[in-house]
Amino acid sequence: MDAAVATPPRTASPAVAGEAGIRVRDVAKTFGGASGVRALERVDFSIPRGQFVSILGPSGCGKSTLLRIIAGLIPPDAGGEVEILGRRQQGVSPEIGVVFQSHNMLPWCTTEQNIRLAAEVQGLAPAEIDKRVNDILPVLKLEKFRRSYPHELSGGMRQRAALGQMLVLQPQVLLLDEPFGALDALTRDQLNVELLRLWQLMRKTVLLITHSIPEAIFLSDRVLVMSERPGHVLDDITIDLPRPRDPRAAKLAPEFGRYVVQLGRLMGVED
Amino acid sequence: MTAVDRNARWRQFVDPAILFVILAILWEKAVDVFHIKPYLLPPLSKVVTAFWDTRATLLAESWVTVQEVVAGFFLAVVGGIVLGFVLHAIPPVRRALYPVIVIFQGLPKIALAPLMIVWFGYGITSKVLMAFLFAFFPVVISTMGGLASTPSHLIEHFKAIRATPWTTFRRLHVPAALPSILDGCRTAMPLAVIGAIVGEFVGAERGLGHLILEANANGRTDLLFAALVAVSIVAGILYFLVELAARRVWWRAL
Repeated sequence: MDAAVATPPRTASPAVAGEAGIRVRDVAKTFGGASGVRALERVDFSIPRGQFVSILGPSGCGKSTLLRIIAGLIPPDAGGEVEILGRRQQGVSPEIGVVFQSHNMLPWCTTEQNIRLAAEVQGLAPAEIDKRVNDILPVLKLEKFRRSYPHELSGGMRQRAALGQMLVLQPQVLLLDEPFGALDALTRDQLNVELLRLWQLMRKTVLLITHSIPEAIFLSDRVLVMSERPGHVLDDITIDLPRPRDPRAAKLAPEFGRYVVQLGRLMGVED
Repeated sequence: MTAVDRNARWRQFVDPAILFVILAILWEKAVDVFHIKPYLLPPLSKVVTAFWDTRATLLAESWVTVQEVVAGFFLAVVGGIVLGFVLHAIPPVRRALYPVIVIFQGLPKIALAPLMIVWFGYGITSKVLMAFLFAFFPVVISTMGGLASTPSHLIEHFKAIRATPWTTFRRLHVPAALPSILDGCRTAMPLAVIGAIVGEFVGAERGLGHLILEANANGRTDLLFAALVAVSIVAGILYFLVELAARRVWWRAL
């Protein structure tokens, strides 16, 4: 595990030496006091700036808890700490954008109003918000739906809007908790391609949580495999596939198949 | 709008009207055929005549009742929303006060009418308070319910974008609770009408409830029916106004 951290894969963007996008040190989490449920067991890893990393694990392994800790929404147990861009995480930091599986749109606001919300809450100048929203909408292919309400959008469009809700604050670190998990397979594949395109455009540090092996391989520079509860990192696999990746070509490559088998074994899937 | 739509809309008014006409004819004829005494059930024609002849009185007494209902309803909505928010936001207050509220809600408000008359007299105040008592609790309960049903993932989202408690309240909790609050208001309005009429029954010099008692005492069943028609018109209009306001919160139907 440490070896992989020490030698970032060649696909990573030129990171600032020594400053990780995300650094997780000895993070553990027990719910409900000392005798409570142990959700996370000493998790320790680092993600260089600009890298796309997936956390793969069975459901209930504490990966969402880990993401909430990294996001600063809940604190880790004493002794653990999270650093974002070299700064110790204390509460929610503005460098971080989070997208959860259930979309975050307010039913009484249009797509545009929903995307503006976070920026308005932060007190950004209206002209600046206008500019950002006008940049984001075409990238997410939501221009025609800026005045639509969430119930008028498809599930895929809502998740794209959820990405927009996060991107408007221009965070440097993106935390995605199965953002497309509730969608059908086809829409999910399409959105993954778009997510990759977005990432290639902006080169932000991304931590994606998923339980889909092909999705993790297709998107990531690295895949961290988590154990069953209490969760800890079982292995750290570097995905050495060329970029830009095309979904069909990538999945036909023999290396892709090898990664699927390797990760499947780690997760205890019969092959 | 297609022809089918237009037809459906038209029938929406025509079908009840047909039923109404049938019932009116049955009423008029039944009184005649079965020799029902007019002090028990006057023929419809008599009721219509009484309504027309006393229209000035009916309007004046309706206006008194409307004022009582609207004032009581307004106090109930404002007070109910404020108390609902306080109970939701401050857990110690909720723990202390909620059982008291439940007990009060279980109390038949009608039983409080004599007390209101003793305390606040025969004037409008006691009726406003009766309307308030009837309408208040549904608003409190629906406000609390609406606030508690704010989706937790949206609360977490507001945390993630570092919204202040005030912003979260204004831009998330209030709009999320509005559909439920307006449902509470729709329940509260007919209750406010009941409260005001009950207050007028127990002790009043004005209002439709008073007019009903007076007509009853004088054996003027036709006027009693006319007053009942006036009550239902008043209640209908007031309910419709609340319904109009509720329609502005369109996301309740989602």
